[in-house]
Amino acid sequence: MKVTISINLGGYAFNIDDDAYEYLQGYLKSLESEFEGEESASEIISDIEGRLAELFRQKLSSYKQVITMADVKDTVSVLGTPEAISGNEKGEKIPHSSRRIYRDPDSRLLGGVCAGLAAWFNMNMWIMRFIFILLACGGGFGVLIYAVLWILLPEAKTTAQKIEMRGEPVTIENIKESVKSEFNKVKHTMNL
Amino acid sequence: MNTDNTQAQMRKGILEYCILAVLSRNSCYAIDIINELKKAQVIVVEGTLYPLLTRQKNAGLLSYRWEESPQGPPRKYYELTEEGKKYLVELDSAWEELVTSVNQIRGR
Repeated sequence: MKVTISINLGGYAFNIDDDAYEYLQGYLKSLESEFEGEESASEIISDIEGRLAELFRQKLSSYKQVITMADVKDTVSVLGTPEAISGNEKGEKIPHSSRRIYRDPDSRLLGGVCAGLAAWFNMNMWIMRFIFILLACGGGFGVLIYAVLWILLPEAKTTAQKIEMRGEPVTIENIKESVKSEFNKVKHTMNL
Repeated sequence: MNTDNTQAQMRKGILEYCILAVLSRNSCYAIDIINELKKAQVIVVEGTLYPLLTRQKNAGLLSYRWEESPQGPPRKYYELTEEGKKYLVELDSAWEELVTSVNQIRGR
């Protein structure tokens, strides 16, 4: 037995297995990050979603009513990887997929500034917090810096941004892993 | 040198030309263009087409209208604009020149 999720893709409603849903979401996320900054990114992606929906429809019949992982993988192989679609193969990575500083909302105490900086410098976030506390005690300067960074640094909201924050390349595999671990975290908290 | 890569680059170079050429015969849905290009083995994965169509639309070479479809939501029906037709004529002669040049070099 499996849990299914119901989605609206390109104007069609589908029931999709939860693992297949995660995979699909990872694919669409990396498409989004591939076309980020392009003038008509949302139009391109909605065209592709429309085509995904048509291909999904061909996978269904009155005997088979749910989109499975195999269906999604098959459809994605027909449409191509985000890199192939944007013509950015050969690993000429666009600059925005490189590493960036974000505030980390998942491990925050206050605004996630220290956690985000620690991810950037690849160090333990408690050491970063300790440095800030020291700075704050010595003349209150740390408080000011913290406040300014809180305002200036964007929060890592999407999965792609969280991966950028950790300095891993934004690929489908990484996004999938990330989404999965977040999903498990939520599951874990709900069981408590 | 990797021949696959060279071939991919060649295909990529003529893909935009091929899209306009398909549309010059008759207006159609994106899926019809995909089928034509797949049959001619110009594209490998379908997704490649969509960003190109949007860019050509933004450049004013083609336009689309929404057409009702018998099952499901309306779909985009693409056609060449006047500008696109002129552009295609230029590309046609550029292609002829290329073929002549390459044949000339190969024929030696």
